[in-house]
Amino acid sequence: MAGFKETLKDAVRQLSFRTSLDSLRKKGVQQVNVLGLDRITALIEAAVHRSLKSRLVGVEREAIADATKAEFLRMLRTNEDLQRQKSEVEEQRERAEDEVDQLRRELTQQNQALQLRLEQDALGLANRYEGENAAIARKVTEVVQSLAQSGSASLSTVEQRLMELVLDVVSGERQSAEAARRTLHDREVDNLQRRIKKLNDNLVVTEQRLQLVAAQKNVDGGISSVYREVQGVAGGDGQGEKKKELMSGIFQANLKLQKKAQGGA
Amino acid sequence: MSETKETGEGQKKDHGVLYIGMDLGTSRTSVSASNGVRETVYSMVGYPKDVVSHKLLKKDVLFGKEALEKRLSLKLYKPLEKGVLKFTGDATMDAEAKANLKAATDLIGEAVRLAKPRKDELVYCVIGAPAEASVKNREAIIEAARAHVDSVMLCSEPFSVAYGLDWLEDVLVIDIGAGTTDMCRMHGTMPEEADQVMFDTAGDAVDAELSRRITETCKGAQFTIHMVKDIKERYGFVGEAAERCIVELPVDGKPTPFDLTDAIRAACSILIDPIVKGIHKLVATFDPEFQNRLKNRVLLAGGGSMVKGLDSAVEKAMKERLGSGKVIRIEEPIYGGANGALKIAHDMPADFWEQLK
Ligand SMILES: Nc1ncnc2c1ncn2[C@@H]1O[C@H](COP(=O)(O)OP(=O)(O)O)[C@@H](O)[C@H]1O
Ligand SMILES: [Mg+2]
Repeated sequence: MAGFKETLKDAVRQLSFRTSLDSLRKKGVQQVNVLGLDRITALIEAAVHRSLKSRLVGVEREAIADATKAEFLRMLRTNEDLQRQKSEVEEQRERAEDEVDQLRRELTQQNQALQLRLEQDALGLANRYEGENAAIARKVTEVVQSLAQSGSASLSTVEQRLMELVLDVVSGERQSAEAARRTLHDREVDNLQRRIKKLNDNLVVTEQRLQLVAAQKNVDGGISSVYREVQGVAGGDGQGEKKKELMSGIFQANLKLQKKAQGGA
Repeated sequence: MSETKETGEGQKKDHGVLYIGMDLGTSRTSVSASNGVRETVYSMVGYPKDVVSHKLLKKDVLFGKEALEKRLSLKLYKPLEKGVLKFTGDATMDAEAKANLKAATDLIGEAVRLAKPRKDELVYCVIGAPAEASVKNREAIIEAARAHVDSVMLCSEPFSVAYGLDWLEDVLVIDIGAGTTDMCRMHGTMPEEADQVMFDTAGDAVDAELSRRITETCKGAQFTIHMVKDIKERYGFVGEAAERCIVELPVDGKPTPFDLTDAIRAACSILIDPIVKGIHKLVATFDPEFQNRLKNRVLLAGGGSMVKGLDSAVEKAMKERLGSGKVIRIEEPIYGGANGALKIAHDMPADFWEQLK
């Protein structure tokens, strides 16, 4: 039973509290009766035995005593555990609350950043597609706004809704781009075909002309002038002086005209 | 600029010099050259309307009668028609003005080709332009001609006509064209504004009048203005009729003979009165000492002068209204202007040609 005594000693020690003589004196205590730990333990043991001796006999008494002691100690320990467990839970809860706060702040920030980006994108989109695609940009804006208003929107909801929208828009854009490319292609092909036809026609004409030229070998030649050199008014002309005067007049008029034409044009 | 010009082919032009006299008329362009060539072409230029026409005609550009005949497949230009050649020399030219300038350039090119120049000869050209052609018109003509010849000069058409006959002074030239009749008195130097009278009672006006009269007198006759013009050129006369003018015109598709003698005489006679009035004006404002001389040196030129009896009719009217008059129709009305321009080209000193290259 020495074990029990030691355990009881520990329990008492734990339930007691330490204090200094000074602090006792301040409370007006002049003298203290010091009760040793061993003595207290013995007192408790005696008390238990006495209460049990009156009702139980023999082995039963011993057994019940042990059981009671054990129960007592267990209760002591449970209390301690509970205490310890409580503080642990409280700590954990606080820590969890902090973490939740932190998470909430981050989420808000992310939400704001996302919203800003989406708004910028929507704006950019509106700018890019202003006119015919303004409706699409408006749709994006609407989604962003409705998500922002509902507040509860999680990132994944935003992502999903936008993904749907974007895919819808993108496929629409792709279709129209494809159609435009096809039209352009058609036009290019058309133009090429036209050009080829034109070239072909020109080729036919040129070939015919070449054949014609080849057929008549002395095609150029031209007819020689009767003059080897520049003439001028003939020497023996009775009106020679008058003619020279007139030639000069014509030349001056042309000089003026042609200088003007060259300078002015 | 005074060095011998070389052509695009880099060929030296030391073989000789070809003079070309050109009469750039509104209806007809004629050339007369120092190699003996004389050619004339209607002042019409046509470009195929579309690819099909182009393939059919096998040509990029058609001129004269051929252009007229194929006009349904062509975009047809009459680049020298009055008021058409609106060359301004700046960016404000509209597409039509540009097209006309191109047509004028092509026409002048064709006229030069008709003269059959050799590639190794210098080509010097004098162009007789209508006396009333504006300075802008003259610039445009010069510009157009430069593309085809080595050196070019313009002179007034009536002057070249008179010069061709060696009538240098105190001459009254009457050039009856299609759109206008141009009258000009020459007294030595270049004619001035006061020396000129111009009106539009000319070949086209005769056609219009004849057309009106045929419609009036020949019931059911079908014709075009081109047919009327042909009739006039074949039978045109004033005064006494040398022959009856019996012309077949389709009625309901069937050729039917009509006597157009009176209609033709009446139509051609519209030329007389304004000419006599013009002569009167130019004589009355001339140096009194030389008025008589001028009255006796009246030259009839241009296609319209080929109306038979016109010289006598004008002379008769002058005697009645001005007391006297002598009218001479030049030998070759079609080439009168071109021949005169050729003579001017010949007489022009080398130095002047060089300076204008
Ligand atoms: N034999 C003719 N008889 C009458 N008129 C003619 C004759 N030949 C041509 N013409 C007319 O002359 C005019 C053209 O004259 P032309 O001197 O060639 O004109 P332009 O100087 O305006 O080019 C046309 O009206 C044409 O019908
Ligand atoms: Mg003429």
